[in-house]
Amino acid sequence: MTEMSNLKKRKKSVTMRKFMNQKYLQLMVIPGLIWMFIFNYIPMGGIVIAFKKFKITKSIAEAPWVGFKYFEEFFQDSNFSNIMINTIGISLLKLIIGFPLPIIFALLLNEIRNLKFKKFTQTISYLPHFLSWVVLGGILTTWLNSTGVINELFQALHITSGPVSYLGNPKYFWGVALISDSWKELGWSAIIYLAAISSVDQQLYEAATVDGASKMQKIMKITLPSIKGTIAIMLILQISGLLNANFDQIMILKNQINISRSQVIDTYVYQVGMTLGKYSYATAVNLFKSVIALMLLLIANLSSKKLLGRSLY
Amino acid sequence: MKMGSKKWIALLLVFTMLFSLAACGEKKEKPTGAEPTVGATTEPTKAADGTTDGTKDNNNQEEVVPGWQKNASDKVDLTWYINFSWFTTPWGENLVSKTITEETGCNIEFIVPAGNEAEKLNSLIASDSLPDLLTLGWWEGQVNQMIEDGMVYALDELATQYDPYWFEVADEGRIGWFTKDDGHIYGYPNSSFSPQDYEKYDNISSNQTFLVRKDMYEAIGSPDMTTPEGFIAAVKAAAAMFPEVNGQPIIPVGAHEFGATGNVSFDQYLSNFLAIPYEKDGQYYDRYTDAELVRWLKAFRELGAEGFLKEDIFVDKRAQMEEKIAQGRYFCMLYQRTDLADQQKVLYKNDPNSIYIAVDGPKNSKGDAYTLPGTGINGWCVTMISKKCERPDRAIQLCSYLMSERGQHMTWLGVEGVTWDYVDGKETMKPEVKELLTTDRTAYDKQYGADSCYWMFQDNAMSLKWAVETPEPLGQMERWTFPYVISVSQYDVSLAADSDESDIQSKVDNEWGVVLPQLLLAKTEADFDNIWNAFIQKRKDFGIDKVLETKTGMMNVAKEKLGLK
Repeated sequence: MTEMSNLKKRKKSVTMRKFMNQKYLQLMVIPGLIWMFIFNYIPMGGIVIAFKKFKITKSIAEAPWVGFKYFEEFFQDSNFSNIMINTIGISLLKLIIGFPLPIIFALLLNEIRNLKFKKFTQTISYLPHFLSWVVLGGILTTWLNSTGVINELFQALHITSGPVSYLGNPKYFWGVALISDSWKELGWSAIIYLAAISSVDQQLYEAATVDGASKMQKIMKITLPSIKGTIAIMLILQISGLLNANFDQIMILKNQINISRSQVIDTYVYQVGMTLGKYSYATAVNLFKSVIALMLLLIANLSSKKLLGRSLY
Repeated sequence: MKMGSKKWIALLLVFTMLFSLAACGEKKEKPTGAEPTVGATTEPTKAADGTTDGTKDNNNQEEVVPGWQKNASDKVDLTWYINFSWFTTPWGENLVSKTITEETGCNIEFIVPAGNEAEKLNSLIASDSLPDLLTLGWWEGQVNQMIEDGMVYALDELATQYDPYWFEVADEGRIGWFTKDDGHIYGYPNSSFSPQDYEKYDNISSNQTFLVRKDMYEAIGSPDMTTPEGFIAAVKAAAAMFPEVNGQPIIPVGAHEFGATGNVSFDQYLSNFLAIPYEKDGQYYDRYTDAELVRWLKAFRELGAEGFLKEDIFVDKRAQMEEKIAQGRYFCMLYQRTDLADQQKVLYKNDPNSIYIAVDGPKNSKGDAYTLPGTGINGWCVTMISKKCERPDRAIQLCSYLMSERGQHMTWLGVEGVTWDYVDGKETMKPEVKELLTTDRTAYDKQYGADSCYWMFQDNAMSLKWAVETPEPLGQMERWTFPYVISVSQYDVSLAADSDESDIQSKVDNEWGVVLPQLLLAKTEADFDNIWNAFIQKRKDFGIDKVLETKTGMMNVAKEKLGLK
C-alpha cells in the first residue's frame, strides 16, 4: 500500500519537477489560454439565443424560450435545400479536387533539382495567398467579365466561341469558386506538405536508388507513405470544415444573378442575421452547421484512427 | 546560453502582460474623468461676449436664450453615429465644423459603419453601447425599437429641462408628425417637407430621373423614349451607332446596383415614372404587381434577350458603376441624379457634350404625367439622443443650434463674411467659394464643409429661401423634375421590426431580389410569364395580403395626422 502511494507521489513529483523546469515555456501558454477562453468559450454562452426569441434591445436573459422553433423554420425555409446543395456541392468539389492538388504540387516541387527555380516557383505560387479576397474579388470580377481577360484568352485559344459571362450565370459559379480558391491557396497549402517531405530520411531514398527504384516508385513507395500522417490530419480538418464554404470568397463573388448557385449557409446566416437582424434564427442555422461539422470531425477522426492509426487526438 | 534566451523570453512575456494590464487600467479611468455634471449647466447665464451676433435669432423673444450660447467655453466631446457607410467627412478639419465647435463648445466624433449599416447599428444596440447622438433613416425598424425600449431620450423633455430654445426652432408640423402616441417626440427629421410646403414652393425637386448621354441621344435624333417600342428602338440605335466608348463596349441600359431586395431602377423608380398609384379604392396598393410595370419589364426583357442588358449592370457594385459613369459608358439609365453629381462634373470637364441630361422616359400606356416623390414630411433621416449620452443637455443644445436659422446658415452657406454675405438682403455665396464648390467638391468639403456637407439637420424647406438655380451641368437634371414632384407622405409607412408583417415583407422582398434579374434575363416572354406567376403565387403564400391590410391601416392613420382625406 505504502509503496504504491510512494510511487504515485514520486510520479507526481516528477511531473511537478518537469513542469517547474518548463515554467517559462508554460507561462507562455497562459496568454493564449486566456485569449481562447475570452474569445472562444465565453461567446459560446450566446448560443442559447438559438432557442430564445431574442430582441437586440433586451438582454439575453429576458428573452422568452421558444424551443426548436427557429430550427424548424430553417428546415421549412424555401431556401433550405438550395443552400444545403450549394454548401455541400462547393465544399465537396474543393475536397475532391482542391485537396489533392497541393499534395501533387508539393511532390512535383520536391523533384525540382534546380534550387533557384524551385524557390522561384514556390514564391510565385504562394503569392496569391497574401491577397485578401476583397482585393482579389475585385480583380476576378474584372477578369471574368464577358469582355475580360479570361474571355479574351479563351476566345483566342478557341476554347469558347463567344463571350461567356462567368459570374453572370449560375451554372459557372461552382467552377469559378473551385478554380479561384485552388489557385489562390495552392502554393500556401503545399508548404505544409513540403515541410513533411523534407523530414523524410534521405537514407531511404539512397537505399532505393541503390536498389534501382525509379523516380515514380520512390514517390509512391517512400514519399507518400512517409507523409501519410500529415495528409490524414489535413483531410480530417478539411472534412470537418465541409459546411464552411469559404465565406469571404463567396460573399465577394456572389451577386443577384448567380445567387441560386452561390448562396451558402455562411452567406445566408450573414444576410439573415446581420443585415435583417434576425439573430435567433441565424444563430440556430449556424448552430445546426456546427453540430454537423462536429459530427463530421468525429467520424473522420474515428475512421482515420481505425484505418491509418493516425488521428487528431 | 540556453538559460539566457529563456530569461529574455520570460522578460518579454512579463512586459507584454504588464502593458496589457496597463491598457485595461487606462480604459477604466476614462469615464470617471468625464463624470457628467448635468445639473450645473441649467442655470441661465448671460450670453457670452463673443456671441453678440448670435442673438439675432431671438431679437423678438425676451427670455429664451439659446442654450448653446451659455456653454461655448465648456468644451465637451460628443460621439455621433451616422448610419451611412458612405459618410466619410471628418469633424474639426474644415471651416464649418471648426466654427460650430467654437460657437457651441461641442466637439463631434463621428462613428460610421465600415461595411453593412444594419450590422453595425444592431451590434451597437445589442451591446448597449450607443453613441451620444444617432442619425438614421426614418424607415429603419431600429428607430421604433429604440424608442419602445427606452434607449433614447424624449427630445421635448430634454428641451423643457435644458434648452427651451429648442421649441423656438423646431417646426410645428414636424413635431406634430413625429410625436408618438405617448405625446413625446424622440427624433427630429431632416429634409422634411410638409404637404403644405408642396403648395407653397414650385421648386421642390425629386432625385429620380431618366438620363441619357447628351451627345449620343442627339446623334440618334433625340427620339421619343416614352413608349416601350420607342425605348427599344432608341437603345438599339444608340448601341448600333456607338458600339464602343473610348475603346470599351457601350452599356446601352444602366441601372442602380442590384441588391438583395431588388433594384430601385427597375421597381421603385420605374413605378413612379409609370404613375402607378399608391392606393386603390382606399386600400394600400401593391404597386409592384401593376400591369403597367409588367408591360415595361417585358420591354426590358426583350432588350435583355437581344443582349442589350449587359452583364455589368447585374454584377457591378456602386464603385464600378461610378467609374463607368465617369467614363460615359452608359447610354441611358433610370438613376438618382444626385448619385452621379461628381461623375457628371468629370464628364463636363472633359467634354460638355458628353454629360447626362434628363429627358422624358418611360410612361404608362395612357401617357400620364410622372409621379416622382419628393421628400415628404418624414424627410430622410431622424436624429435621436441616446440614453447613453452623458451630456444630454449639451446634445439637445447642439441640436437646437443646428436646427436654428444660424445653424442652417452655417451648414448650408458657411461662415458669414468668410464664405457668404448678404447681397441685397439675400444670402449669397462668394464667387470664389462657389467656383470651388462647382468644380471640386472634395476640396470644398475639406476647406469649407458647407453646402450641407453636414446634413444631419438640413432643413431643405428653409434653404429654399437662399436657393439659387443649380448651375450646369447639374441644373438641367434638377429642373426637369420640378413639374412632376408629388408628396407621398401618407404612404411612407414603416412596419414595426419584429412583427409578422415585417417578416413577411422581408421574405417577399428577398424573393423579389432573386426574381427580378430572372425576369429581365428570361429568354422568352413565356418564361417571363412563368416566373412572374410563380412569384405572385409565392407572395400570396408568404402572406402579403396581411401586410397590405396593415399598411392600409397605417396609411389611414398617417392621413389623419396630416389632415388629408
